[in-house]
Amino acid sequence: MLVKYFAYIRDYTGGKEIQIEHYNSLRALLNELCKKYGAKFESKVFSGENLSDEIIILINGRNIVHLEGLDTKLQVEDVISIFPVVAGG
Amino acid sequence: MISPEKCTGCRTCELICTFHRSEEFNPKLSAVSVMAFEEASVAVPIMCMQCEDPSCMKVCPVNAIDRANDGTVLINDEKCIGCKMCISACPLGNITYNPRARTLIKCDLCGGEPQCAEFCPSGAIQYKEATPTNLEKKRKMGTMFKEVFGEVGF
Amino acid sequence: MYGFTGKLLRVNLTDKTIKKEGLNPKDAREYLGARGLGTKIMMDEVDPKVDPLSPENKLIFLTGPLTGTFAASSGRYEVVAKAPLTGTIGASNSGGHFGPELKYAGYDGIIFEGKSEEPVYLYIKDDEVELRDAKHLWGKTVFETTDTLLEEVGEDAKIACIGPGGEKLVLFATVMNDRHRAAGRSGLGAVMGSKNLKAVTVEGSKSIEVAKPKEFLNICKSSRKSLKDHPVTGTGLPTYGTQILINILNESGGLPTRNWRDGGIFEHAEETSGETLTEKYLVKNKGCFGCNIGCGRITKISDGKFKSFGEGPEYEAGWSYGANCGVRNLAAISNANFICNELGIDPITMGATIACAMEMYEKGILTKKELGRELPFGDDEAIVEFTKMTGMREGFGDKLAMGSYRMAELYKHPELSMSVKKQEMPAYDGRVLQGMGLEYATSNRGGCHVRGYLTSPEILGIPAKLDPHVTTDKAAWLKTFQDLTAVVDSAGICLFTTFALGLPEISEMIRTGIGLDYTDEEILQMGERIWNLEKLFNLEAGITGKDDTLPSRLLKEPIPEGPAKGLVAQLDVMLKEYYELRGWDEESVPTIEKLEELAIK
Repeated sequence: MLVKYFAYIRDYTGGKEIQIEHYNSLRALLNELCKKYGAKFESKVFSGENLSDEIIILINGRNIVHLEGLDTKLQVEDVISIFPVVAGG
Repeated sequence: MISPEKCTGCRTCELICTFHRSEEFNPKLSAVSVMAFEEASVAVPIMCMQCEDPSCMKVCPVNAIDRANDGTVLINDEKCIGCKMCISACPLGNITYNPRARTLIKCDLCGGEPQCAEFCPSGAIQYKEATPTNLEKKRKMGTMFKEVFGEVGF
Repeated sequence: MYGFTGKLLRVNLTDKTIKKEGLNPKDAREYLGARGLGTKIMMDEVDPKVDPLSPENKLIFLTGPLTGTFAASSGRYEVVAKAPLTGTIGASNSGGHFGPELKYAGYDGIIFEGKSEEPVYLYIKDDEVELRDAKHLWGKTVFETTDTLLEEVGEDAKIACIGPGGEKLVLFATVMNDRHRAAGRSGLGAVMGSKNLKAVTVEGSKSIEVAKPKEFLNICKSSRKSLKDHPVTGTGLPTYGTQILINILNESGGLPTRNWRDGGIFEHAEETSGETLTEKYLVKNKGCFGCNIGCGRITKISDGKFKSFGEGPEYEAGWSYGANCGVRNLAAISNANFICNELGIDPITMGATIACAMEMYEKGILTKKELGRELPFGDDEAIVEFTKMTGMREGFGDKLAMGSYRMAELYKHPELSMSVKKQEMPAYDGRVLQGMGLEYATSNRGGCHVRGYLTSPEILGIPAKLDPHVTTDKAAWLKTFQDLTAVVDSAGICLFTTFALGLPEISEMIRTGIGLDYTDEEILQMGERIWNLEKLFNLEAGITGKDDTLPSRLLKEPIPEGPAKGLVAQLDVMLKEYYELRGWDEESVPTIEKLEELAIK
């Protein structure tokens, strides 16, 4: 699986993207990433058990709120993109 | 303390300054003014520095300017005769005249809670003592000047 | 009424008379200011069928009641005229410092009429107002004009002007102010050029007062705190500027690529992103007047063939020259954008028109002989060169200066122009963001994203998380967004505040600022009134429901790849629902009942 990071999420991950072994669900993947990147990353991603309001996660370009949320199942070839809430216009 | 490298030139300080003193919006009546230098990408808020040895206080013929216990240099409107000698004396241009109200405009630190510092969106104006670590800031500022004056434009 | 200065300047350029007149308080109560009030004045005084570049068109600069106050991001003013690019009502909004200064000089706005025989500029210093000779400024760029005028009238003045683009009637010329800020879309700079009006200088020393100072201060304070605490307005925009959107639109498959032909994924997006801009070229943030956000970018390309210095690019300009032209070189994109600011032309339409020419070249419709050079997608030198040539109307630039629709039509391929009502759509694919498709089709000034910015709920999840791919509820959301945006524009504050603030906060600022007891609903209805009046102007100008459509590419060519693969814009479903919600008939004409409800005569 490919995980991509954007904007100031990169400050916590120290890189733009990583290849990572397969995890069954998004929640499992994020838990692993929180272990890897530490408390600051975790505080941006989670708000308690739920997804934080300050984060946007896409799986293959689809926002997970329009999929199964944190319980979305993942496939080996999936691309996961993690953004802070940003805007422009 | 002023950190020009953070100033975005938005002049929020000017707005809140005039509103705080007379409930109107008018940058020309503000005790703080942002000087923006487009070509150099620099903007600097300029305001009364509450000098250690204030020329305005020395020149005032009726002793209307005095230093309060907390160090703020204050103008007493009751004593002031409007001669505007202080305006001439201030080497930094930080006293102006409000012709409508017939009073002088000078920063009084809003009685200890400077509104410009409270509302500055970027932290360019902060209300605290300058510290020795400021050398680092000065160096950064100097480098910026060097860069922008070095090569600009097409 | 508080908030307003209560005075307008009426400047007749034909006979050189200048009148000061009172603001009509009834109009201000019903249409607020800036965009709304400007449209009302146009409707009352100008025949919508007028040729936009004739002396009979008027050019109006108008502030709003919150402009120049402590309301957050209150540096906005509006330029209003019939627009040469679209033939619709044209209203373009700009930040910086010019708008507030006009109010400090004692005027809510200026109405320009007629046409001067020779170039002039308007000088304003409080009560002193005069037309001055501008022959020495004609031909000068925006920056040269600004510098010359500041020397002439004093460093404290604020300047709005046109560049060569406006003088030469480029159909998408801008009115620029404070050097880098633009009333950018639909060609209002050409209206100014057609009147031989080069610039307006203004300096003021008067005060603006609000009705309820204490309450006004409170709502402004809490609004500023909300803006500071919100992740978008407090962190995202100040850190990365608007260009930050490149990656998220690209990952969502909604970044139109190579004249919208290659779907919504640009393989080099990261190289053109806000992250890259920040890392490589950002010198400093810049804020407009009274702004808490400070999204402006001062950027500098230090070396190489695109060495240059300026502001931006904003997301839409970064996209139009970048993904849309297939260009991956951010230095070239920035340089082209700077040149637009110098010459006074709209980078969105400019980049999109070059992209259209690139596709025409690829298809063999345009030849090397005609263009004077090759023009493949991805050519970074071409975007800079053709931008210069268009601003100066040299060579093929003379044809590009008509915008993509008229250019493509000239070669019998109007379907290659990615425009609505002859104005180019910006950086969000309406096949992927269905709501944005409806926005482009219904916007009263043609292809435009800032009339009802549904990207916010469709991609960014603000204030709700809508699925971009579906059409459900999009019409209702769009109507509310369009009406609220009309209020925000007409009040004189920046649209970006709405990422953090909603109708209650904005209404409270308006109420306590001007001292009228509107309910929130009445204020939103004011936005609806403005929207309907704009529509009526367009209908009278001959722009009808048939023009509320999208290019056939969006309606018929499915997205070829990515998360939205196979989708087209499902406009017909949404449009029908939209007209019903608006209280319009199926030809988009407001019903009598609707007009009565809104008290429009």
